Amino acid sequence: MPKRVLIVDDALFMRNTLRDIFSSAGFTVAGEADDGVQAVNLFRELKPDLVTMDIVMPYKSGIDATREIVQLDPSAVVVMCSALGQESLVMEAIEAGATDFIVKPFRGEDVLAVVKKVLGE
Amino acid sequence: MPSTSHKYLTLFVAEASEHLATLQSELVRLEQEPPAASLWDAIFRRMHSVKGSAATLGFTRIVDIAHAAENLIARLKGKEGKIERAEVDLLFAATDALVKEIVKLDKKEEDESTITLVDRLAKAAQALPDPALSARPVPPPPVMPTADPSLPRLDVSVVLSKTCAAPGARALIVQRKLKAMGTLLEMEPTPAQLMQQKGGARIAALLATLTATDEVREALVALPEVEQVEVRIAPAARPVEEGRPLPPPPVPIVSPPQASMRGQATPPLVRGLTPPPVDADELRPEPTVRVRAEALDQLLDQAADVMHGIARLREAAKRLPEHVAARLDGDIDRLRRTARELHGRVMSARLTPFSSLTERLPRAVRDLAHRLEKTIELDVQGADVELDRTVIEALGDPLSHLVRNAADHGLEDPQTRERAGKPARGKLTLTARRERDKVIVEVQDDGRGMDAAALRRKAVKSAAMTQEAADALSDDAAYELAFLPGVSTRDDATEVSGRGVGLDAVQRKVESLGGKASIRSVPGKGTTFVLELPLSVSMANLLLVQVGGELYGVPLHRVLLTTEYDLSARGGEGFDARSLVVMGELVRAYGLAKLFGLPSLAPPGPRPFVVMEVDGLRFAVSVDRLVGQEEAVLKPLFPPLDRVRGLSGITVLGNGRPLLVLDPRGLAELCGIHETSKPAPAAKGAA
Repeated sequence: MPKRVLIVDDALFMRNTLRDIFSSAGFTVAGEADDGVQAVNLFRELKPDLVTMDIVMPYKSGIDATREIVQLDPSAVVVMCSALGQESLVMEAIEAGATDFIVKPFRGEDVLAVVKKVLGE
Repeated sequence: MPSTSHKYLTLFVAEASEHLATLQSELVRLEQEPPAASLWDAIFRRMHSVKGSAATLGFTRIVDIAHAAENLIARLKGKEGKIERAEVDLLFAATDALVKEIVKLDKKEEDESTITLVDRLAKAAQALPDPALSARPVPPPPVMPTADPSLPRLDVSVVLSKTCAAPGARALIVQRKLKAMGTLLEMEPTPAQLMQQKGGARIAALLATLTATDEVREALVALPEVEQVEVRIAPAARPVEEGRPLPPPPVPIVSPPQASMRGQATPPLVRGLTPPPVDADELRPEPTVRVRAEALDQLLDQAADVMHGIARLREAAKRLPEHVAARLDGDIDRLRRTARELHGRVMSARLTPFSSLTERLPRAVRDLAHRLEKTIELDVQGADVELDRTVIEALGDPLSHLVRNAADHGLEDPQTRERAGKPARGKLTLTARRERDKVIVEVQDDGRGMDAAALRRKAVKSAAMTQEAADALSDDAAYELAFLPGVSTRDDATEVSGRGVGLDAVQRKVESLGGKASIRSVPGKGTTFVLELPLSVSMANLLLVQVGGELYGVPLHRVLLTTEYDLSARGGEGFDARSLVVMGELVRAYGLAKLFGLPSLAPPGPRPFVVMEVDGLRFAVSVDRLVGQEEAVLKPLFPPLDRVRGLSGITVLGNGRPLLVLDPRGLAELCGIHETSKPAPAAKGAA
């Protein structure tokens, strides 16, 4: 069974880039959300194996969305996608329950390395 | 390596450009109102989004600028007191530089100005306190965690990868993992100490746990960016703990309740404490997808093609035997209704909010005000009123012209305003509102108003009208003279809006869209330009006429009636103008063939006339034959046809042939009746 991933980012560019990375590595992209509200809703609906979560987004930040997702499912695997210079936000996200993080700019293999580790592969 | 060949490059450019455009107006709002936290957040988010995507593409210059700007924004948000103009200027400079970078992404060499700009942004940011340091709650003095002294102590050493981009965050994950396995007694350096350090750090920790050393090692090795792990049983219990009273059972005191641990069934404590997040759902717009404007245009063309095809099918069906045709007719009719509905839906999908025109204006007005040394407040009303994309696109230039004109000529400088008892800050109001099938756009200033006498003088001087005609005009009618070419309200041409050049172009553009431009002005109180625009311009009901072997379309909304008359009996071929009686009124008649210099192929005798009305003026043109009616999708003329007076657009007929559409106002001008018959409305639009 291919792992199912939910991609959350407000930039379509980033979503497309991540989708390509995951698709080429044999993941199924279960859904995409462009803000935190949609992310929580889609998580509830899709129950993905993995969520990649942007931090700075409209309506609801990735940190708040992560907190809600982890409340819904304490075993949820949420990997924050942060930009350089956001370390304090990443730390806040980890405290909110994020599993791990990747820092933009990233290469496909960096993303997959982190994701495979957190999924225990 | 910048990847200009990235498959999503165009997407990046589109998204980034949109963010930067909105950013401009948000920056203007910073100066106008005490900025709300949400405005700062939006500004930060846009800059941040551009940075993130650019980083992925390897556009380091964009990343550098956006990163430096983002830092400044973060500190400005936390700043107490007023935001300085210089600071906003700097953010504008950053936005401009980003726009420039995005426009020419393929330029390879390092730009000197980028370095200076990044430097200036960094300096400005350094002058302000770092909210990341001040906003984060000061950590409570470390409480030495205690653990059951009977538990084995493990010395843990973890080396983080050199490429680790956020060692503080990584250390936090290590810390969390350790806490999940036992009681973490010590950790050095702490995650906070590692923040903003380079990778390659070594972390030493002391863990009280029953978990086996191998298990601890494996758990840590499984973490990303962890390079090396050593776990050993600590030589001896710490002396500090000796002599203390028996410690409480091992509870992870350091971890706050909301840091819900993986695998631990944490009751949702936080849910009851935080306000329900439901209302955010209501703020969300309807789900939308991004569609290239061009794709919608193609869709519209194709919907029109389908309609034309159906029209042809109907024509063909007429030639079939009746019993066959009868069966087809119903089907064709249904198809026609569906196609028309489809066309309508595509049309409404093309509707674009007025805001897409106005979002760049705040920036333009700000710069203009600085250049003119005036203070101007811009107020945009009805930003969400929607217009057809064709109208929006055509309206860009006229609107910015009217705004420039109002800022330059309409509004007085602050001293003059104060002397006149007005607030020093001039007000410019842009309004869009829907009225039935029209959208009214107004550009209003509270400036000096127009000078009717000066306009009359100018009109006479530029030989647009006689002194008598000018004197006969009411003040209200005289304001409309500003639409005449060569008439301006000021003698000195200015850098900003020129010498009144363009108001005639504004009117022409608006009328080419099937709209109307007018002026209201009150001396000393201000001037309002009113543009009445059709909601959509693309569909028109046309009367098809034939002249000189060619078909032409006449917009039906300008056609009063058609009639037949035999003028040749009275004046012979080649008449210029005669008159015919229409509804008891004498109406001048012209030959369309003659106006366009075409041969008339109609035999002498009675011939059809199309009676049109423009601004209350009626006139008739003769044609060779009336052919029929057709609903058609109008397209703008392309050069050189767009310079032909009397034509307004082009369309494609059901049979695939192009059809030129006549412009009744242009025809009236060609006939020479539009300026002379009635002075007041005639002044308008005479070119």
